[in-house]
Amino acid sequence: MTTNTYLIKEGYDNLKKHGSKTFSTMLIICATMIVLGIFIILLQNVNKNVETVKKEQGFQAFISDAATETEIDYIKDSIQIIQGVKDIKYIDKDMAFEDAKSVFSGQEYLLEGLQKVKPFPASFVIKFNDINDASVIKTQVEKVEGITKVKYNEATIEAVITISNIANIFLLGLGTVMLIVSTFIISNTIKLAVYSNKREIYIMRYIGATNSFIRKPFIIEGAIMGLLSALISFVIISIGYVVIYARLPKVGTSLGIFGFMPYSQLWYQVLGIFVLIGLFVGIVGSAISIRKYLKV
Amino acid sequence: MIEFSNVNKKYDHDVVALEDINIKIEKGEFVFLVGPSGSGKSTFLKLMVKEEEATSGSIIVNNTNINKLKQKDIPYLRRKIGFVFQDFRLLYDRTVAENIIFALRVVEATEKDIKYQVKSVLELVGLSGKENFYPNQLSGGEQQRISLARALATKPPIIIADEPTGNLDPKTADEIFKTLLDINARGTTILVVTHAKDIVDGLNKRVIALDHGKVVRDDARGGYVK
Repeated sequence: MTTNTYLIKEGYDNLKKHGSKTFSTMLIICATMIVLGIFIILLQNVNKNVETVKKEQGFQAFISDAATETEIDYIKDSIQIIQGVKDIKYIDKDMAFEDAKSVFSGQEYLLEGLQKVKPFPASFVIKFNDINDASVIKTQVEKVEGITKVKYNEATIEAVITISNIANIFLLGLGTVMLIVSTFIISNTIKLAVYSNKREIYIMRYIGATNSFIRKPFIIEGAIMGLLSALISFVIISIGYVVIYARLPKVGTSLGIFGFMPYSQLWYQVLGIFVLIGLFVGIVGSAISIRKYLKV
Repeated sequence: MIEFSNVNKKYDHDVVALEDINIKIEKGEFVFLVGPSGSGKSTFLKLMVKEEEATSGSIIVNNTNINKLKQKDIPYLRRKIGFVFQDFRLLYDRTVAENIIFALRVVEATEKDIKYQVKSVLELVGLSGKENFYPNQLSGGEQQRISLARALATKPPIIIADEPTGNLDPKTADEIFKTLLDINARGTTILVVTHAKDIVDGLNKRVIALDHGKVVRDDARGGYVK
């Protein structure tokens, strides 16, 4: 057995020796991780849908009724070469009228008599690659000759960005609180383990154990606790999400707009974050507890 | 091997524990350190293993000036000194062999060394065949032998025994000292702090007496009292 294998074994033995305390600590860590996991999953879903909205958002540039076909082609070309424009679609007056009809569905009588006049102007629907370029693109489109007005749904876009930012900040805050609480809990448990091994530590110091030799078993104990908690929480949250996902209506998803992500796109993120957090709280928590016993 | 030159140690509130100590112990010597409680014996030992810092003066242990020793090097100094305590300081949830293995793991001994050393030190202290016993299944004298075996396992050039027979009956105490003499005969420097008057008188070894933090006597061959 090498020294490291021995220290790992000591860490594992410590864990078993303090069985009930280990169990209750892991229970609390699991509970906090599961809460965090739920928010990670919700945020991932929010972010994904925000991305969808961002992509779908565009603006409408209206054209004067007097514009000839050549002028319309010129406008189209002028818009297409603007940097950041992803897609451009022409809506003529007929299509605009049809769109209006769908908006007034059930109250078509309101549009009666307007069939011949076609009062709605032709327009281009412009989509862009990156939401952040929206205002620059808007200014450039406005400068194109023949464009009468640009309707840009700033309110929607800003709301979407705000929601996404708030959700991200909230998760960051929650994650920080969770990290502190879990580190504190593990640190307390290890403190008890250190205390019950006080005699060993004292003897070790007299025999000539280095600080790292004394520290390692406790760090390993903390790391195992954190890692096990992470894996248990991962299994619970995975089962939970898969079961709930199976019962969710899939209308949104099939339309390509709002909808929940399948777990196959999420599990590795949840697992990765849990494992990192588990190891972090385990290692840092035990390092804090053992520190004062290493002096002298 | 051990050299204290003009060593002073003051604790908080100017409590003087040791004053102008000059002691030189050569390699292979067997030395008794005697004196009443509070005379500075424990402080002397603590300074040797750098559990306490001297207020002034220089201390050399095994060719190392420990005044200059960095915190991270203290463990390596302690590996050169085997400690035997009055209360044995054993791990009672581990067997005799495991208590010794514990010490060997600390100094990161190889598997081969561990096997060899456990057998060899248990033979030396007369505990062969008791490897798998737990300390509580053995007598006080045998427990002190485990402690001695543990101190010897890492082959330190110096053994410090702090009241090694304080908790033992006279017959057992005699046996422990016989073992210490055996170890000394193999070249290990031994420093024993003790109140065991009969033993000190009977062995006629070097005796250093401390009182109120000062060396009051250093006889090459002496008794417990002058």
